[in-house]
Amino acid sequence: MKNNSVDERFGGRNDGVAGFIKSNKVTVAVYIVTILLYVVTLFVSPSFRNWHHLMLVLVLASFLIVVSYGQGIVILVRGLDLSVGSMITLSGVLVAAWVSQSNENILWAIPLVLLITTFIGMLNGIGATLLRIPPFVMTLSTGIIVFSVVLGFTEGSPHKGNAPRFLNGMMLDHTAGIPNIVYFLILFIFVAVIVQSYSAFGRKLYALGANPKAAHISGLRNNLLTISAFGISGFCCGLVGMMLVGYTDAPTLTMGDPYVMSSIAAVVVGGSSILGGKGNYLGTVGGVLLLTILSTLITAIGLAEGWRTIIQGAIIVMALIMSSVSERNTKIASAQKNISKSVPETQKV
Amino acid sequence: MVMGKRIKKSRVVNRSILMVLLVSLFAVGVMFVADDAKAEENKRFKIFLSLSYSGNVWQSSAANIVKALAKTPPYDEMVELTEVISGSNVEKQISDYQSMIANGADGIISFPVSPTGLNRVIREGSKKGVLFFMYDSTVTEPSAYNVSYITAGHGENTAQYLVNLMGGKGTVMINRGVPGNSVDMRHYNGSMAIFKRYPGIKVVNEYYGYWDDAKSQQATSQALAAYPDVDGICSQLGEYGVLRACLASGSKKIPFIVGEDTNGIRLAFADPEMQKRGLKGVSAGSPPATAGYAFKLMMELLTENRKDLVHNIEYPLPWVEWDKVKLCKGDVFEDGCNCFPADKVAPTMTDEVLHPVLLPEISLKSAQTGEPMPGARIQPLPKDVTEARSEPGINCNPKSGKCVDPVYEPYMVTPIPVPK
Repeated sequence: MKNNSVDERFGGRNDGVAGFIKSNKVTVAVYIVTILLYVVTLFVSPSFRNWHHLMLVLVLASFLIVVSYGQGIVILVRGLDLSVGSMITLSGVLVAAWVSQSNENILWAIPLVLLITTFIGMLNGIGATLLRIPPFVMTLSTGIIVFSVVLGFTEGSPHKGNAPRFLNGMMLDHTAGIPNIVYFLILFIFVAVIVQSYSAFGRKLYALGANPKAAHISGLRNNLLTISAFGISGFCCGLVGMMLVGYTDAPTLTMGDPYVMSSIAAVVVGGSSILGGKGNYLGTVGGVLLLTILSTLITAIGLAEGWRTIIQGAIIVMALIMSSVSERNTKIASAQKNISKSVPETQKV
Repeated sequence: MVMGKRIKKSRVVNRSILMVLLVSLFAVGVMFVADDAKAEENKRFKIFLSLSYSGNVWQSSAANIVKALAKTPPYDEMVELTEVISGSNVEKQISDYQSMIANGADGIISFPVSPTGLNRVIREGSKKGVLFFMYDSTVTEPSAYNVSYITAGHGENTAQYLVNLMGGKGTVMINRGVPGNSVDMRHYNGSMAIFKRYPGIKVVNEYYGYWDDAKSQQATSQALAAYPDVDGICSQLGEYGVLRACLASGSKKIPFIVGEDTNGIRLAFADPEMQKRGLKGVSAGSPPATAGYAFKLMMELLTENRKDLVHNIEYPLPWVEWDKVKLCKGDVFEDGCNCFPADKVAPTMTDEVLHPVLLPEISLKSAQTGEPMPGARIQPLPKDVTEARSEPGINCNPKSGKCVDPVYEPYMVTPIPVPK
C-alpha cells in the first residue's frame, strides 16, 4: 500500500482526484475559501463581475506569488528570509539604473541583477549553515546591509531611471486579452511546482526540513541544500524587483518593504508549516490569492484602515491554529497506526 | 661710594627688567585680543540637520537643499553642518536632539517625527539658546519655528479645483496619506469640507496610499475595479501611482486627478494623448524647498540679519494647473517653467525643490546631489514672511488657548455655484 503521509508531506504524486484531495486537504481548503471569498466580492460590487477584475487580481497578486515561492522554500528548510524587502528594492533600483527606457543593456543587466540577488541569497544560506547564525538574524542583518548599500548607491534618491519598456510591457500590456504577466506566472508556477514537488532536489528539501539529522545520516548535503534554498529566494526577489519597476515605472527605496511579512503570511495561510518540512507551493499560491482578494474586498467596501490589518492578522492566526491542529491530528493518527502495527495479529483477535 | 653705585646699578637693572616685562605683557595681551577678534571672525555656527527618514526622494531632496546651501558662499565659511538620520522613531529623535544640544548646537533644522512628542526636548533646548526650525512637518511647541505649507490649504484648494472640473457633480475617490497622521487629517478635512458643500458630489471610496506611489497604485487599482466609472480622484502624495493605476485599468477614459508635485503627473498633464483621454487636474503639494527656506531664515536670525520672526511661517502652496505645465530647458525654474524632461528626473521626483525668489541659489542638480550651484552666492530673503494660522494639533498646542480653528476656504480657485 502506498504511504499517503509521505505524499501528503511532499504535496506531490497520488492516485486520482480523490487521492490528490486526500493528500492535499489544506491546499484544497485554501482554494475553496478563496473561491467563496471571490464569489462574495462579486456580490459586494457588480463591477467585479467581469474578466478584467479577475485579471487585475492576478496582476496584483503576481508580486507576492513570486516572492512567496522563495520564502516558502526557505521556510521548508526551517529558515526564514527577512531580507526579501531590501533585495526586491536592490533589484528594482539596479535594473532602473542600468537599463535605459529604450531597453538598452537589458540583455546583460537582467541576468546580472538576478545573479547578484541570488548570490546575496546564497550568502544568507552560508551564514545560516556554515556560520551557524540563526536564519532570522542572518537575513535581518543582510537586509539592513543591502538597504544601506542601496541608500549609498542612490544617495537617498533613486533619481536615475524610468522602467525599461520591456518591463512596462510585461506588466501592463495584454496579449489576447490576458496581461502578459499572467502568461509568465503560469510558466513560473509550473516550473516552481515541478522543482518543489516533483524533482529529486525538491524531495531532498522536504527531507531536510522534516528531519535534518535523518537527512544528514541518509547522505544529503544539508548545507548545500539550505544555501540553494536561500539562493532561490534571492532569485525570486530579483524577479519581483523588476516586476515592480515595470508596474510602477520608477523604483522607490521602500518598494520591497510590504513583501517581508506578507510573503510569510501567504506561506502560512497556504498551509505550509512555519517550522518547515511541510507544505506545497500550490497552497501558497492559494494563500496569496486569498489575501489579495481579501484586500480588494476591503478596499471596495471602504473599511477603515485598522480593520484591514485586524482581518489580515486574524486570518494568519487562524491559519496557524488550523495548521497546529492538523499537525497534532496527523501525529496522533500516525502514533495510533504505529501502535496497531506493533501489536501482533494474533493478539488483535 | 662703591656701595651707592652698586645700589644705583641694581635699580637700573630692575627698571629695565620691569620695562621688558611690561612690554612683553602688552605684546601678549595684544596677541590675545587679536586672536579673540580672529576667532570671532571665524566663528562657525554649529547646525544640525535631523532627518526623519532618508530613503525617499522627498526627504533626500530636502536634505540635499540644506546641504547645498550650507556649502554656498558665504555660508560655506560660517556653517558647520552635521546631518543625523533619526528614523521614524520619536524616542530616537528626542535622544538625537539631546545630543545635539549637549554638543553646543546653535541651531537644529529638522523634519519632526511627531507634532507633540518632541515638545519637551525642544523647550529645554530653546532655554539654552538653541534655535529649532521645523520644515514641512510641524510641532506644537511655541518656542520652535515651524516653516510649512500645511496650513496653506492643500485639501480645500485641490478639492475645489476638482469640483470645478466636474461641474459640481459626480463620483470621487480619495487617496489618503498615512493613517492617524495630523497632516493627512488636515488635508482630508479640507477636501471633505468642500465636497460636502456640493450635494451632487459623492465620495464613493477612500483608501490609504501611505504617500507612496507603489502603494497608491495598488490601492487605486483595487478601488477602480469597484468603481470603474469614477469621475475624479483626489490624491495626496502618490498621485503618479494613481495615474498609473488609471492607465492600467483598461478603461480609455482617465478620470480627473488632483494631487501633489511629482514630475510624472505634470508631464502627463502636458501630454496631448492623455488630455485626449480626459486627463485634467492640478499639481499642488508638499515642497522639499521648504527645508531650504527654513535654513535661510535660521541663518538670517543667527547672523542677526533678521531681528525678529514669527514662529509659524507659511510656505506658499505650489500650484500648477494641467494647462499651465511648462517644461524647463535648464536646471532651474525660469520663464515660468515648472517641470523637467523625463530623461532628467524620475517620474516620482517632486518638482518643487526650487523657488525662483526664495531659493535662487538652488538648481535641480543641487537638490539631487547636495552640491552648491557653481558661482552662486546666498541671496537675502524677502523681508516679509507670511504668518501661518495657528491650527490646533498642527502648529499650536490646543491647551494654550491661542489656536484658531482652520477655515477651509479655497483661495487658489473660485468656487463654482452649487448646481441645482
